[in-house]
Amino acid sequence: MGSIKRRDFIKTVTAVGCTAAGLSAVTPKKLNATPENILSKDRYGVLVDTTVCIGCRRCEWACKKAHGIEAGSIDDYDDKSVFQEERRPAHDSYTVVNSYDVPNAEPVTVKVQCMHCDQPACVSACIVGAFSKKENGAVIWDESKCIGCRYCLVACPFQVPTFDYHKAIEPEIRKCDFCYERTSKGQLPACVEICPVEALTYGKRSDLLQIAHDRIHRNPDRYIDHILGETEVGGTSWMYLSKTEFSNYNFPKLGNSPAPGVSESIQHGIFAYFVPPIALYALLGGIMYLTKEKSTEEEK
Amino acid sequence: MKIKIISVIILLLLFVNVFHAQSDHKNFDFNCSLCHECENPTKIDPCLKSCPRHEIITVHHTAQQGPKEIILNKFEGIEDIFEPVNFSHRAHSEMSSMAGGCEMCHHYNPPGSIKKCSDCHETNRMRTDLSKPDLKGAFHRQCIDCHSIWDNDVKCADCHAENATEGAQSATKESYAESYHQPVVEPGRIVYETEEMDGVVTFYHNDHVNVFGLQCNSCHKSESCARCHMENNVLADANRDLEEKHAVCSSCHDVDNDCESCHKEKIVEGFNHARSTGFNLNEYHGSVECEDCHKAGKGFKGLKSECSSCHKDWNSSNFDHSVTGLMLDEIHIENDCADCHTEGVYTSQNCENCHDPDIKYPDSKPGTLKKR
Repeated sequence: MGSIKRRDFIKTVTAVGCTAAGLSAVTPKKLNATPENILSKDRYGVLVDTTVCIGCRRCEWACKKAHGIEAGSIDDYDDKSVFQEERRPAHDSYTVVNSYDVPNAEPVTVKVQCMHCDQPACVSACIVGAFSKKENGAVIWDESKCIGCRYCLVACPFQVPTFDYHKAIEPEIRKCDFCYERTSKGQLPACVEICPVEALTYGKRSDLLQIAHDRIHRNPDRYIDHILGETEVGGTSWMYLSKTEFSNYNFPKLGNSPAPGVSESIQHGIFAYFVPPIALYALLGGIMYLTKEKSTEEEK
Repeated sequence: MKIKIISVIILLLLFVNVFHAQSDHKNFDFNCSLCHECENPTKIDPCLKSCPRHEIITVHHTAQQGPKEIILNKFEGIEDIFEPVNFSHRAHSEMSSMAGGCEMCHHYNPPGSIKKCSDCHETNRMRTDLSKPDLKGAFHRQCIDCHSIWDNDVKCADCHAENATEGAQSATKESYAESYHQPVVEPGRIVYETEEMDGVVTFYHNDHVNVFGLQCNSCHKSESCARCHMENNVLADANRDLEEKHAVCSSCHDVDNDCESCHKEKIVEGFNHARSTGFNLNEYHGSVECEDCHKAGKGFKGLKSECSSCHKDWNSSNFDHSVTGLMLDEIHIENDCADCHTEGVYTSQNCENCHDPDIKYPDSKPGTLKKR
């Protein structure tokens, strides 16, 4: 270190830092959504076949039971009048089934819940790391870390996380957790287990994709050639098959680039490698250097 | 040496394997690739393609030969909300001939015995082969597919009894061991108003069954159960297009050219051979199939009423005249038919060829009358 002048060292570091920041800003390929950023090849998912769903709403009941939410009698879920209004996941119902009228066909019932993105925006947006993408595909929330900022609500492209507004003390962020507790014990997610027609198929995401493509290939009249979640926002663990366009079911129209891609590459790019303080010192150093030269000349 | 012996054994096993497969398939007239994905399927790895494969249903029998009732009790959940279903197999299979046949449900059956649903569909939802639905999913899809059409509000308790419910009165509690599909009440006359043409089509359903001897599935080939079972039958014939409406008649009637046979101005009487054609079907012709005389098939064009137009090979030596009620005596039995029945008309008699003009039938008879 002795042979390098202090000034040269600062110059080099600044140059390297700027280059790194610039590079990472334009190439948002590798995202560091979370400290537990594991995107396992064997991650699980669920294939939702909306052509099979009968709208029995048993998944809603099973979900509440599995998460310790007051579920009521299973017979209450035969009530189809709830379909008159579109419902969204809420603090006391992590999944809901809606019915949509489509042209020239029977109404289609569609289950909504967290899509468990491969590149989750909520994980990226969470400033305290309360969200994490698990190895089995689940995106879960840790109440011990959450500070209640609700950035996740804003960030989610599917508008899934909900806030427990009804609780004054320690309100929680509530959303589908892919039954992380159950799957860790080798059980099926509650909704998948109860579905009478197996409209929900639980398995490895790669297998599900193969099955979904196979179904489309063999039944071109039954399905449109689109698996929602295969590529949307960089891929999701939950994926959907349908007979008609997904815009009929009020799914947001999303691109294929990961939701946290833009914000994260800017943020992580600028703050990576200790760049801002170094750049600041370099700037100050530069000013000092120039003004110093000037003042020596004046003295002469 | 050991290696040689082992390789011989392996070869032998392979041979047995192939031989076995072929013996299973020997009466099987299909391309291997219809069912198998790979070139050399084995017993262990048959590399089967995905169902359904309606073409290869190999076991056919009547509804009466199948089981009467099947109790669907293969599921054991952690929490059994419902009791198993008693499925009235016979009642369903009796009607299946009108709606796609056994293969509606049995969509795959390789050579041999009849496959149970559970032979292919796994009972465990957590499984490796996800290409086909598990047993519970398959059952529900199969049942709900039809049942939901005629009742948009299908409830679990329509088929299941809730578990531990004392005296639950639902389908489950009933036994279908002796159950048949209840007799279908056949319609008599149906009058169709036609939009495209003036007038009506009068359809005598009872005549088609009783007089013409048609079976249910001669016409009702791909019915929907809902057509009968739906409370307010919205699947009315109005929803069918022109081609569909005519298709069911077209196997017997010439629907392309002969409109007037069915489309009339007013409601018409049912078909009566004597009144409509002038040819009375007596006890002999009454039991003859329509096609035996009307050989041209569709349209049922009128035939000449002379006996000889059909009975070309009859003559005095092979016709038993006594069937007409008149047993010819020894003299007249030697005559040719044309000696008495001139000009090919067998309903009139002419004695003048041999006798004086004062001898006339029926005052003088060429034999004795007998009771028919």
